[in-house]
Amino acid sequence: MAAVVASSGPLANRASFWRTLWVNAIFAPRTSLGFMRLDFVLGTVFIIPFTQMLFFAYVANLANNVANSVAYVAVGNAVATVTYSSIFSVCQTTDSEKNNGTMEHLLVSPTSRFALYFGRGLIPILVSLATVAVGLTYAVYVFGAPFAPGAAGPVAISVVLAAFSMVGFGLLLGGVALYLRTSIILGNIFLFLGLLVSGTNFPVANLPLPLQFLGYGLPLTYAVSAVRASLAGAPLSTLGLLWGELALAGLVSYAIAILLWKVFERRALATGSIARF
Amino acid sequence: MAPSEVSRGRTLLASVRLAVLQFLADPQWLVPSMIAPVVFGLVAYELFRGSGANFALYAVLGAGMMSMWGQTLYGSGWATGQDRELGTLEPTLSAPTPYLWVVMGRVVWNTVSGLIGGAIVYVVVVASYGRPLSVPNPVGFVLMFVFVIVTLAAVGIVFAAWYVYTRYAGFVQNVGEFAFYVGTGCMFPVILLPFWTNPVSLAFPPTLAVDALRYVSIPGYQGLSWGFWGDVAGALATTAVYLAVAGTVFHRVEKHVLETGNLSEW
Repeated sequence: MAAVVASSGPLANRASFWRTLWVNAIFAPRTSLGFMRLDFVLGTVFIIPFTQMLFFAYVANLANNVANSVAYVAVGNAVATVTYSSIFSVCQTTDSEKNNGTMEHLLVSPTSRFALYFGRGLIPILVSLATVAVGLTYAVYVFGAPFAPGAAGPVAISVVLAAFSMVGFGLLLGGVALYLRTSIILGNIFLFLGLLVSGTNFPVANLPLPLQFLGYGLPLTYAVSAVRASLAGAPLSTLGLLWGELALAGLVSYAIAILLWKVFERRALATGSIARF
Repeated sequence: MAPSEVSRGRTLLASVRLAVLQFLADPQWLVPSMIAPVVFGLVAYELFRGSGANFALYAVLGAGMMSMWGQTLYGSGWATGQDRELGTLEPTLSAPTPYLWVVMGRVVWNTVSGLIGGAIVYVVVVASYGRPLSVPNPVGFVLMFVFVIVTLAAVGIVFAAWYVYTRYAGFVQNVGEFAFYVGTGCMFPVILLPFWTNPVSLAFPPTLAVDALRYVSIPGYQGLSWGFWGDVAGALATTAVYLAVAGTVFHRVEKHVLETGNLSEW
């Protein structure tokens, strides 16, 4: 009897939370996440960062602009490549559920939504970490980006925070995509918009004011700033502030993602149609 | 006109018409191939700011080229894949008209829609620039632009043929995107690349065609050493080779289907 009580009490919920988290973490790359085949992952980690950085490095080289040097552009793009796995892959989870006809089942499931969606983001977080790490290695050793003594720790913290925050943003877009027919457009918009408004290739201050506001609404902007400051060996007081902004941007993204899912879930249950592809 | 020619012409037109209708029913596919070039065009424009008026032309031409490349890489490359996914590859191949004409119709429309994307890129970048960009030889510019489209279409047909035989079409499209932009010198002269990369770059007709386009559009442009006519001759020759390769591959595909009765498993 005691066992029955325990299994229907809070302990059972906790167990269910971790189980949901783990099951989604290991199954999502094979089911609902987009572009998680091994060849795509290896390409995302090793090839895309290099070719993207190379492209913008040549453009910067041709422009011969001192402020936006090849090294500056390389670091920005190394960080920006995090969006491939964190945004493009994660936000397609909604499409996959709709396409496979499993969204209805998911919506009536009593499982924790946070465990469900955060679990799906775990592998993309790891892929994002690897992508940025490889990208920054290219930036330093191929494109001559500065790496201050003792910067390894701060860079690692910045990269981890960037990966978490960007996956949160990917989940947020996945939430919006629940209401849309497809997430591809949304994924593409934010995949590339970051290159323009997040200080990836030139400072955000160079942009018109509306685009600056847009830039400061994206976690990538804070991620790029934090990584640049870490590489330059900025003091902890400066880094602490940047990390705080980045973490806050990530938390807000996760919160909005959960909120969006709740809102659209209610709507789906009310209309019975939103979960269809 | 021989009946077979009539049939091919009709097939081509029907294929173009169907591609247009499918595009109108779901025009979202212009967005992926357009957003990136618009963004890259604006980023390049910002990086080139203060480097002179000619550099704005680099940004516009490069972004327009990337838009068309995007449509070639994704749209035309998928021209065969869509049949395989929908299960219509074998029935289409069993029709009396060669499959190449069906694919060509799709490629024609993809290239035209890429051109629309290029025009939108032009408008956005020029709006940011604040005044219209002038080219010294507008007629030559238009002719060379059409020529670039033809070379891209040739690449698109080869991709469509190649994708029949590979499981890695999606990989090539997504992971190779920037590599194609770099390798063909979309946004910068290809002579800036290391010498050892030149054979790979020059194997793509658009590399030579875009270099020729820049010779016509940008005063004082220093591109490949053999100059404008060398570019045109090289692009024509490589385009002819691409079309021959595509024709041969599609012929082989048709033969393969007739022998095995199945192309869905590969």
